[in-house]
Amino acid sequence: MFIVNFLIRRLAQGVVIIFLVSFLIFTLLRVIPGDPVRLMAGGMAPDHVIDQIAEDMGLRDPIPVQFVRYMGGVLQGDLGQSFIRPASGAAVGGASFDDNTRSERAEVFDLIADTAPFTLQLALLAMAFALIVALPVGIYGGLRPGKWPDRLALYMGSLFISLPNFWLGIVLALVLSVNLGWLPAIGYQGFAYTILPAIVLAVEIAPFLIRSLTVSVAQNMRENYISVAAIRGIGHRRIVMAHALKNASVPLLNLLGVQFSMLLGGVLVVEFIFDYPGLGLLTINAVLQRDFPLIQGIAIVTSAAFVVINIIVDLAATTIDPRLEY
Amino acid sequence: MGTSLLDVSNLTVAVGEGASAPRVLTDISFTLEPRGILGVIGGSGAGKSVLAKAIINWLESPLRVVSGKVIFEGRDILTMSDRETRLLRGKAIGYVGGNPSGALDPTMTVGSQIVEKLQAVEPGTSYRKAQERVVALLDAVRIPSSDQRFNEYPFQYSGGMMQRAMIVDALVSNPRLIVADSITQPLDVTVGAQILKLLRELRDEFDTSILFVSNSLPTVADVSDRIIVLDCGIAVEQQPTADLIASPRSAKTRQLIDELPTLWAHDDRSRLKPASENARPIMSVRDVSRNYALASRGLLNFGPKRILQAVRHVDFDIYEGENFGIVGESGCGKSTLTRLLTALEPPDTGQITFEGKDIFGRGKEGTRAFRRRMQLVLQDPYNSLPPRNSIGTIIGEPLVIHGIASRNERRSRVLEVMAEVGLPASLYEELPMVLTAGQRQRVNVARALILEPRLMLMDETLSALGQTEQGQLLDLLEKLQAQHGVTYLYISHDIAMVRRVCARVAVMYLGEVVELAENKTLFFNPGHPYSRALLSAAPTLETRRYRSEDCLLDGEPPSPIDLPSGCAFASRCPQAFDRCLIENPRLQSRGGLNRAACHLLDSENTVPKEVSA
Ligand SMILES: Nc1ncnc2c1ncn2[C@@H]1O[C@H](COP(=O)(O)OP(=O)(O)OP(=O)(O)O)[C@@H](O)[C@H]1O
Ligand code: SF4
Ligand SMILES: [Mg+2]
Repeated sequence: MFIVNFLIRRLAQGVVIIFLVSFLIFTLLRVIPGDPVRLMAGGMAPDHVIDQIAEDMGLRDPIPVQFVRYMGGVLQGDLGQSFIRPASGAAVGGASFDDNTRSERAEVFDLIADTAPFTLQLALLAMAFALIVALPVGIYGGLRPGKWPDRLALYMGSLFISLPNFWLGIVLALVLSVNLGWLPAIGYQGFAYTILPAIVLAVEIAPFLIRSLTVSVAQNMRENYISVAAIRGIGHRRIVMAHALKNASVPLLNLLGVQFSMLLGGVLVVEFIFDYPGLGLLTINAVLQRDFPLIQGIAIVTSAAFVVINIIVDLAATTIDPRLEY
Repeated sequence: MGTSLLDVSNLTVAVGEGASAPRVLTDISFTLEPRGILGVIGGSGAGKSVLAKAIINWLESPLRVVSGKVIFEGRDILTMSDRETRLLRGKAIGYVGGNPSGALDPTMTVGSQIVEKLQAVEPGTSYRKAQERVVALLDAVRIPSSDQRFNEYPFQYSGGMMQRAMIVDALVSNPRLIVADSITQPLDVTVGAQILKLLRELRDEFDTSILFVSNSLPTVADVSDRIIVLDCGIAVEQQPTADLIASPRSAKTRQLIDELPTLWAHDDRSRLKPASENARPIMSVRDVSRNYALASRGLLNFGPKRILQAVRHVDFDIYEGENFGIVGESGCGKSTLTRLLTALEPPDTGQITFEGKDIFGRGKEGTRAFRRRMQLVLQDPYNSLPPRNSIGTIIGEPLVIHGIASRNERRSRVLEVMAEVGLPASLYEELPMVLTAGQRQRVNVARALILEPRLMLMDETLSALGQTEQGQLLDLLEKLQAQHGVTYLYISHDIAMVRRVCARVAVMYLGEVVELAENKTLFFNPGHPYSRALLSAAPTLETRRYRSEDCLLDGEPPSPIDLPSGCAFASRCPQAFDRCLIENPRLQSRGGLNRAACHLLDSENTVPKEVSA
């Protein structure tokens, strides 16, 4: 019963959030300078053609009217069509303004559906790498506050956080890919291409995970119930595994949710450096080309992902710590 | 040694290394027989907790055993390996501490954690078996609907219930000894009294010996066969309970006994003045209620709001120049009422008037003026003073806030007030750090007094002080009352304090005033069963006029959310009858200013018998 209530409430809130995000992006895109039709049709196109196309596409209507029309489509699962991209192949150059049949343009939904799995794969792998490092380092650091494992966690976090991601990306690409030839770096032709960018991302997020773990494990180990458990006759191993770690996992889970949302939304730099065909790269190109429908579509999808991730995290957190229900 | 279960000999514990390290326990020796209950009593810092921990070999550095033995069933606990101690602690010796609320993992159910413990100390016990045993024990300590409670989390337990659960946790492995350190300290007296009763029964039922540690002599005397008195780590006296109280041998024991308040016998420390005859009310509280709406758990926050009824239809007058008391246990609405009376919050319904005017009826300025004439003296002498301001600044602050007096006037006014409350002028520039607890309380009084209030509200002001300091502060307050005609309103959980000070007393239970009585009437002829329950549970060595067995049913106050209809005390009232469950009794007069809210008053003759002396 609680679950059903919870889901309905959170989903309703989520819809509101997505709606607001869409409206904000939609309005912003239309008030910033730069006419997308000019870009679509090409610099050489005469003004009356531009006006004609804009008129046909409804781009001269008042913004609220455009928005309502757009959201009407979104509700039916139609995110509109890209301004720039054809249904197949790369972005169309702006020079040929004669290609005015809109049916040939790519569906935004398809563009996103094609790229999202790559980003998802990258995000999951980065998360996995980060956890593989952060879990042992962070937990051990939290169990021995002030001792060398604690310091190791601190130094490691500081080191990682001070490496700029573009620099690390380039260095890793040079060393592991160009010099040693162990891993491919640029583009995507198979799973191996995900590894390098995932490492770079993992280095970026691991410090936060390590810090969160060290702090919350140390904090929980100081709790009264931990010392009482020892006099109640419960073994040290069990105290750590079943109690301290369980309690420490709630803040970690929240952090993972935030980090994961960020990975899905915008690994712009890393995808750009590695020319990785994910949502980040798609976003960069869409922005450069003023591809309004695509930008909007990405915004809606990422905010939806954000909402869903949050719901999952909160649900998991209340399962671990039932006090959160109240 | 033969029959003794626990034999402590010449135990000395120090803090830190080296021969000159300060001693926390010096040369303690005692034995505890099977089925015996040994009480350990002493003031704060006497070493009681250290002794309790030494017995389960739980001393952590810098505490260190210098010499001595703790022989439990023939083996010295202090020389055991870690593994052996762990099994011994969980299995043969159970430990219950004074902080039940933080004693279990908040994310796991109470039942599963007790099962976890049983399985840890008795490997091979099946979950089903363990669960059956835990549920049976939860029943034995009278936790209602135990099989459902088994699956609840620690935060769903009240303090008293959690303490019962911790006792189950200690009992579950059939230990031969239970070490109980200050287990009733965080509990309300009526709940604590039930826990004591429970311990006595458990000893009889399970043949467990108990080492019972507490800083309250009446509590220890209530359960123990023998008592050890600790003073600064030294066992100054050891006697069977009755002998110890009848003929104490050490000065410390005598002091502990003398310090105890008396409820019925004449008490030299009583500051009681007769209620004044023709005084005018200075403050009138008329049918005041305050509710808090809690977030609903329904869909989208719609659906019925849950209402917490913190204060319900409270109605009384405080007369000029008198000492009025409000007593009640935690959660009875004292703090909410304090906020209402100090105009920090308006009541939902009803009216509070001060010197004839509604305290909220005069706009911001009026409320401000009221706040000057009514001052709150805070509870905690340790946290209520800002640590980085000089004492002079702290006392003068109200003048600044209310924009009275120039800088120079302020200084002389502060010094004047300091002299009045007995603080030496040399403290003017000092920081609060240097103050003793009693002096801190004086600073709090001075701070209130500087605005020359007509009414001072003392919120648990005396409860953190020792007897001597309490007496001195009371003298001071009495002097101020004589000089300035101040009226005092004491809000407290401590019924013995109220007995000594307050001419009239309001007893609160679950947001209501259930009895309003003159001092003598309340203690000698209470009109409400809850007042009798409070008296039966109060810590005193006197022969009680009321026994908690007769005055209180097991259980705890219902939640102020979703209050039951009918009398709020019905679930714990031994005299409840059909009508109590349906109709909430109204306050009715018992003659004079005495009023009580109980259906029994409709036929006064059914008041329960007093315990014959
Ligand atoms: N872990 C510790 N490290 C250093 N000193 C300690 C430690 N634990 C207790 N002490 C000291 O030992 C003395 C006795 O403390 P203990 O806690 O046994 O007092 P107590 O009798 O239980 O007091 P209370 O009634 O306040 O609980 C005190 O002076 C205290 O400061
Ligand atoms: S009204 Fe009934 S339940 Fe309430 S106190 Fe009186 S006798 Fe007890
Ligand atoms: Mg103690």
